Amino acid sequence: MPNLPKRKVGIVACSGEELPAGTVTRLAALKVLEELRPSETVTICLPLFLAGGEGDRAFAKFYPTIAVDGCAKRCAARATELYSNTPAASIVVDDILAQHNLPAPQGLRRLTPESQPVVDALAGAIAAEVDHLMAVRWSRTEGAILEAAPAAQEAVSTSACACGSGIPVTTVEVAGRAVQIMALEPVLELAYNQGLRANGALPPEILQTVQVYNTVPAGEEAQYAQALDLAWRAYCEQREGQNHG
Amino acid sequence: MSDRVIIVPCSGIGKTYGTVTREAAYQVVEELRQETTTIVPLSLLVLGDEEARAAVQDAQVITMDGCSLACATLNVRQAGGVVAKDFTVLDAFRRNKALKPKGISELNDGGQALARALADEVAQTVDELIDGGNTHA
Repeated sequence: MPNLPKRKVGIVACSGEELPAGTVTRLAALKVLEELRPSETVTICLPLFLAGGEGDRAFAKFYPTIAVDGCAKRCAARATELYSNTPAASIVVDDILAQHNLPAPQGLRRLTPESQPVVDALAGAIAAEVDHLMAVRWSRTEGAILEAAPAAQEAVSTSACACGSGIPVTTVEVAGRAVQIMALEPVLELAYNQGLRANGALPPEILQTVQVYNTVPAGEEAQYAQALDLAWRAYCEQREGQNHG
Repeated sequence: MSDRVIIVPCSGIGKTYGTVTREAAYQVVEELRQETTTIVPLSLLVLGDEEARAAVQDAQVITMDGCSLACATLNVRQAGGVVAKDFTVLDAFRRNKALKPKGISELNDGGQALARALADEVAQTVDELIDGGNTHA
């Protein structure tokens, strides 16, 4: 059963190749992803936003992201907001330099050894933001922090990566054509676990939740509901079979 | 038309092939063809930065992609640029199967060698584009 990565934070690094600070963002993001917070973070591929990476867009739309930028143009933060949602946090290398009184990084392909403290400081700042975002309640429907109270323990486990594979996609038939629905299986799973069953019309919560993750064209709601109803019934039959098997 | 060929590598940070394209791009612009090439970062094109868009619209562009999604090529085209030649790491690997890349932050020897092989191919194409431009100028 595919699961939504409920307790992950996405890191979007600008990775600008023409600036030393771009290299700093890339290395700091990798340090967080590989060393500091490997279980709590995924990388979001910035170019995929424009190239049609639905998984990356969906992740950034409904889960907290940290944009890490090398310059004041803030490509990562602005592109994330443009194509998905406002990042939960935005960090610019210049701010880190000022906070830690560090010299500007040097080197493109290879940073100078003197630039390593900048990478470390930035990685520390990212990790601190990750810890903060993991500790607060996050609204997936609003893409924003709800309140500063500790989150309840999530029942669903996480998946490994948001780059295409982080969000499961199910293909259904809507009015004779194949349509991909983002996160359908986890939506059905959540509905089933909440006690809903296929003993009548499609529970309206399912279509509503699907619409949070997917664009349902105006005027096609009924056709989508029909397709979702078939998927819902099949899912419930499968779960009942497991329960009695 | 700019007299420099623009190199746009994949900007992915989470996979080995993205690292290979970046390394190869740096090898081209910093070592092999310093005088005739320059890098335009993909992040600026994603954002729609006017300067970056104008640059790719006014130059011959070589893209280097790390996977089949071809972000570099797609983003250059969406920015109004014409891709003179697109390279993919996978194709380069097929031509150099002994050079198996590993690593993300740091490439292994195979990855470095594959990046060099890719960079050599790109450099040759740069020369062809420059020569072609001069011939037809």
